[in-house]
Amino acid sequence: MVNNIDSYLQQLRKELANCDRATIQDALSDAEEYLRNAVDILKASKPDLADEIVFASVMQEYGTPAEIADAYRKIEAHSSPSLAVRTQKANRPFVSRFFGVVTEPRAWGALLYLLFTLATGIIYFTWTVTGISLSLGLLILIIGIPIAGVFILSTRGLALLEGRLVEALLGIRMPHRPLFSKNDKGVWAKFKALITDRYTWLSMVYMLIQLPLGIFYFTLFVTLISVSLGLVASPILELVFKEPMFTANGSMYFFNGWVMPIVVIVGVLLFFATLHLAKAIGIFHGNLAKAMLVRE
Amino acid sequence: MNEKEISEVNRDFQKGLYTGISVFILLCVVGRSKEPIYGYQIAKIIEKDNEDIPIIKLGTLYPVLRSLEKNGLLESKVDPSVTGPPRRYYRITELGNQTLVELRKTWQRATTFIDSIMIGAENGK
Repeated sequence: MVNNIDSYLQQLRKELANCDRATIQDALSDAEEYLRNAVDILKASKPDLADEIVFASVMQEYGTPAEIADAYRKIEAHSSPSLAVRTQKANRPFVSRFFGVVTEPRAWGALLYLLFTLATGIIYFTWTVTGISLSLGLLILIIGIPIAGVFILSTRGLALLEGRLVEALLGIRMPHRPLFSKNDKGVWAKFKALITDRYTWLSMVYMLIQLPLGIFYFTLFVTLISVSLGLVASPILELVFKEPMFTANGSMYFFNGWVMPIVVIVGVLLFFATLHLAKAIGIFHGNLAKAMLVRE
Repeated sequence: MNEKEISEVNRDFQKGLYTGISVFILLCVVGRSKEPIYGYQIAKIIEKDNEDIPIIKLGTLYPVLRSLEKNGLLESKVDPSVTGPPRRYYRITELGNQTLVELRKTWQRATTFIDSIMIGAENGK
């Protein structure tokens, strides 16, 4: 029976079971904001009312979980999944799609994110490995347990932060608020809930794989960008600064004059292709983050 | 048709009407507010002005707010509040204002049209 805010939110989550996870989280946060405000204000004005009656009248105005879930489903069905993904331009000619990528904030955001992942990956990896080994090592002594608890909570904070980065730069919708946790449980029950939550472990794995992924992304894109810029700049380097294109076994190699325009064109094409690749990998990584960091 | 059925038809009519214009209602409320405004305040303003219309469930306004934001008509930011959960404050955008102007014109045309239909119906009696 739905007779308080927690059970309302649980019921709403159940009603929304087959919706996008970010939608569920938004619906829950909207409901929580309204219900808590309404209950507090009604209680302040009529302190002698029983809690159940206060909640029932608030729910009467807000709507039952089934009604609210229905409203979210209807509206999500005909609004685009994400502001950043615009599909209506799909029928543009290939040339304008290929070169148009340079105007897309999403491609540049993805490139920035993928380069930046090396830095965040190092931080996440170090923190997670330190946290796990410290907690496990000290578990024989009692102080390992509070350390583990603090460490797991910090992982959630990092996961939320990472979600904000992913949403800002990759345009994939991620949660905006920390997970809802009940306040009426004891410390031990909270700790057990943390340990048994699949989401805790998935976010830890995510933090660990950020490092290898970050190294891979960084290497790939630094290489692609420098090669394409190098190709574009090669005529200037060869003709003005007399620098060879490459050196092998002590001999310097230069391009013939007639190849130079082709080299420049290849460089330009490679640069645009790199942006497309960044966009595609960005979408892949965003979905990975969504699968691992957002609770079902 | 007995009285119960009449009131049922009327309720469905109201429900459909207010659902259909909920975008307009929300843009008006957010647009006329000078400060950024959060969901609960919006719900209360709508409720205060329409105590005799309990047809709109206030909770169904929130997904409309989200979709307006998605379409760029509103913008929002989240502020942690001292008491209770963080609040999402909405503000109308330039695009939202332009849309609101157009919607107002449409609404005025619609009311003029409905009025003329109603007068016509009365005269024809």
